[in-house]
Amino acid sequence: MKVVKQQDIKLDSSFADEIAKRSGENVFLCYQCRKCASGCPSRMFMDSTPTELMRYAQLGMVDEAMKKNTIWYCVSCQTCSTRCPQDIDIAHVIDTMRIIGQEKKLKADDNKLPLFNWLWMTMIRFMGRAYEPGIVGSLNFLSGKPTKDMALGMKMIKKGKLKLLPSFKKPFAMMKMFSRAKKLKHLK
Amino acid sequence: MKLAYYPGCSLRSSGAEYDISMRKVCAALGIELVEVKDWICCGSSPAHQRDDLMSVALPAKNLAQVRETGDLKEVCAPCASCYSRLKSAQKRLEDDDLRKDVEVVIDSKYPDDIEVLHALDVITDKFGVDAVKEKVVKNLNGLKVACYYGCLMTRPPKVTGKGQFENPTQMESLIEALGGVGVDWNMKTSCCGAAFALTKRDVVLELTRKILADAESVGADVISVGCPLCHANLDGRQAQINSKFNTNFHIPIFYFTELMGLAMGIEAKDLGLHKHITEVGDFLQERVRHDRCR
Repeated sequence: MKVVKQQDIKLDSSFADEIAKRSGENVFLCYQCRKCASGCPSRMFMDSTPTELMRYAQLGMVDEAMKKNTIWYCVSCQTCSTRCPQDIDIAHVIDTMRIIGQEKKLKADDNKLPLFNWLWMTMIRFMGRAYEPGIVGSLNFLSGKPTKDMALGMKMIKKGKLKLLPSFKKPFAMMKMFSRAKKLKHLK
Repeated sequence: MKLAYYPGCSLRSSGAEYDISMRKVCAALGIELVEVKDWICCGSSPAHQRDDLMSVALPAKNLAQVRETGDLKEVCAPCASCYSRLKSAQKRLEDDDLRKDVEVVIDSKYPDDIEVLHALDVITDKFGVDAVKEKVVKNLNGLKVACYYGCLMTRPPKVTGKGQFENPTQMESLIEALGGVGVDWNMKTSCCGAAFALTKRDVVLELTRKILADAESVGADVISVGCPLCHANLDGRQAQINSKFNTNFHIPIFYFTELMGLAMGIEAKDLGLHKHITEVGDFLQERVRHDRCR
């Protein structure tokens, strides 16, 4: 067990405020009942439980919260948000931490999830709709595993489950929409 | 009954048979589906993990498109992820400040009076299980079905408005109307790891294995789903799971619309059953033979 020395803990009281401002969720309502950790299907893969993550947020332990792989292992299944007796949307808090992490370009436990998110959003920005073969191909290529899931992919092509040609839905309107959103965020 | 239809990206590609069977079944039931004009991606999980404003704006744009499609007040989203994103955006947009921002982004007014329904809601709540029963010509003859809801069809209840979110029974009532039996099992609302389908395979294989193992242990013949992402994992990854965990799963995974179609006498090939990765052909033939013996 890693012992965190008191003098090493850096408190950042703005962290909880930042989360509240972005998501509208108040992490101080958490009283550590651990219902979220008990129900989390992904906890076996996590360094810290969601409950611990909430405590980090309360104490402003930004580094602890962001360094752990926990935020990158949340599957967004909404179990914690459903069961929280204090009605905190924990999955939304974790999403917010992920967004902060991606904006600050903090190193994730592996960079595949941020890469996937970026690819997806870029794709719909230019194409309007997700193009599955393009996402899988570019993700595998950029993460250095070009043959991952190849057998399954071939089977899906054979069964006509992958639409090989991309379709474009109003690309110019989409690009404009994304740039309006960007402008709006800069204003704030 | 006439409603707007938002198929979503998956139903255009890896979940094609869900789209095919949904349209076939609705046509047979007399439900008219009007595809939303120029619909775009709902943003799915990447949007809410990367860009909070766009995660609300993309669904809002689609809801505005529903208004453009005609004077329709209800939209059916068969994909659980799309359904969840649309519903969740509606909840978030009750906040006036956010709504104003979103209206700037989508450059149109956001319509707040549209009802978002999952395909299962359309069938069981709007059309009615009893009305479906009347259309059954070839009943499922006691087929043991594990009804799998996954995460987003019921959760979080604040967003979906579902009363039974830990132990839903909506799909079971439909299966029973078709002549099948909805088995009692533990994993009906457990997560299959769909958000990590392309990024963290270890997580997906472990979570999917648990679901398959539980269905097998209670003696289910098939699993019935209502989400293309759940289907892709449960149906497509059985071979990978078998080789990783040394198991021997071969459980046919059906969309609930496919089971409806079969019970309503629609041919398997017209429902797109040949597209499944875990073959259902032999299974169906065995079942039919079994029926004849009786």
